Amino acid sequence: MTRAPDLLVFSLRKLAGAMPLIVGVTLISFLLTVYFGPDPTHALLGKNPTAAEVAQLSAELGRDRSAPAQYLDYLRRLLTLDLGHSMVTGEPVRAMLARTIPVSLLLLLPGFVLGTILALVMAAVAAWYRGGWVDRMISGVSVVGMSLSFVVILIGLQAVFGVWLGWFPVRGWNVTTLPQYLHHVAVPTLAFIVASLGYNTRFFRAVLVAELNSDQVRNARAFGAGPVRLMLVHVIGNSLLPILTRTLFSVPLLVLSGSLLIESHFGIPGVGKITFDAVMSGDQPVLMAVVGLSAVLFVITVTVTDLLCRLVDPRLRQE
Amino acid sequence: MSTVAGRRVLAQLIRRPLGLLSLGVFAAYALIAVGVWLGWWGSAWFELAGPMWAPPSPEHWLGTNRLGQDILMRAVASTATAFEIAVPVALLSTLIGALAGGAAGYFSHGWLDEFLLWLMGTLDAIPFYLLVVALAFALQGHAWTMHLAMIAVFWTTTARLVRAETQRIRELPYIDAARVSGLAPAQIIGRHILPNTMAILLVQGTLVFIAAIKVEVVLSFLGIGTQDSISWGLMIAEGAQEILIGQYWNFIAASLFLFVLVMAFNLLADQLQDVLDPRSLDARAHRHA
Repeated sequence: MTRAPDLLVFSLRKLAGAMPLIVGVTLISFLLTVYFGPDPTHALLGKNPTAAEVAQLSAELGRDRSAPAQYLDYLRRLLTLDLGHSMVTGEPVRAMLARTIPVSLLLLLPGFVLGTILALVMAAVAAWYRGGWVDRMISGVSVVGMSLSFVVILIGLQAVFGVWLGWFPVRGWNVTTLPQYLHHVAVPTLAFIVASLGYNTRFFRAVLVAELNSDQVRNARAFGAGPVRLMLVHVIGNSLLPILTRTLFSVPLLVLSGSLLIESHFGIPGVGKITFDAVMSGDQPVLMAVVGLSAVLFVITVTVTDLLCRLVDPRLRQE
Repeated sequence: MSTVAGRRVLAQLIRRPLGLLSLGVFAAYALIAVGVWLGWWGSAWFELAGPMWAPPSPEHWLGTNRLGQDILMRAVASTATAFEIAVPVALLSTLIGALAGGAAGYFSHGWLDEFLLWLMGTLDAIPFYLLVVALAFALQGHAWTMHLAMIAVFWTTTARLVRAETQRIRELPYIDAARVSGLAPAQIIGRHILPNTMAILLVQGTLVFIAAIKVEVVLSFLGIGTQDSISWGLMIAEGAQEILIGQYWNFIAASLFLFVLVMAFNLLADQLQDVLDPRSLDARAHRHA
């Protein structure tokens, strides 16, 4: 068995196959944030610059070169993590990311993990009693959850737990100890769970019901497997591929889309907040880095998902 | 789909309690929106109609906001805004998805297909709100920014589904017959393939409609959505601040208007799916928060 090199070859081939995607994604982020984005030259120079000053800064920013040259330069800077400085605060973008990404992860991870587990449990219960009143109730709750806007959930929970009950802070991120962390993370976590539960439960339920109707499950049942063993080993075990794919694919989306909303609303200094601020103030280097890196993160996620699927499902290993 | 088939779908929908309910709710909202466009009601949403922070009363059913504007009237006017965004976005992204999916499926594994697949993969690879925000950044101040951003993202799911369906239909004998009789690919796709993907298009259209309304709320809430008008998202953004000082009506009114419409459309999409294709898997295996 030459498993390790085999895996290495596989992941390298996957990454090579993802090249067009990386090119596409970085091209779009380049076009949006650099090429078509507002020209920062005048914003940086202040009032009444001379033509020479404009030309000099243009050259410094690289805006006087051809689009392909600018794009290649953009790629090179992304790959070498040479991300420049924020135009607003002057802070190195790399330092900003290093400061904010952990905050976003801490903020979103509990909701993501708990939400996924809870959705799986609800889906398993609904699938087990499919067609019955329990299933219909869970389906009803899911549709209601899907119909609630994330913004409404956020504000509603903030109103209930922050303003009425006063249990949790209404905004900010003043975290140095574990109790403080739990205190601050509670409302965002709850909001995240409520927002994702409906969609996830529905998806998982459909997957589990399809598996429950399969021959192998009927077989296992005939051999006397109890409900818990049947559900955990035979149904969820065999549905790991779609479950894993969906869960992992939502990670990049979650990190940015989720944190953008939660952080800008609660005033939490995560990566979503600096992205939002960068949009509002036209801070090109920050935006450029976030869009480009998140796209690269997505490609990496796709590759990792493929790898994990191969580990989970022996059939995928014999090509 | 012919009008006969369309009428059959409608008849089946109406026979189901949830189908009838969701269609009824949709009709009511559509009426509200049309009424706003025709100036029957809601057109004075910006007028200072009474004292500030008035509680609900016979004159102002849901009270007034911090400027003394009628909250119900603002929520009603926002219905029109929601339709102005959701209808063009749903129609255009479904149309683009159908054409792209049909072309990709018909010429599958050709260069056009490869290109479209690459484009879809690329668009799907950028986190949704980030792409919208980046588009808003690039097109700053443009009136159609929000529409464009949503269409740019929403057509891909429809295109993928239509592509798969087209690949299946393409192998059927009647398509061979059409080809032999000398029809051009565009005619075959337009006249003989896409009409048979109408089930997908209808369900996707409703799903995009929901997504567009929800995304407008988020973007307006963030301050990069609806400008110079009123929308549920803007009301909710106001409400978010007002809740801190104990004023809830703005938030409640906008949230309820939004929730009921989205809920009705979610139910409608489910019912449509059941009527059109009882076997189909859940098409909502998708992402919009």
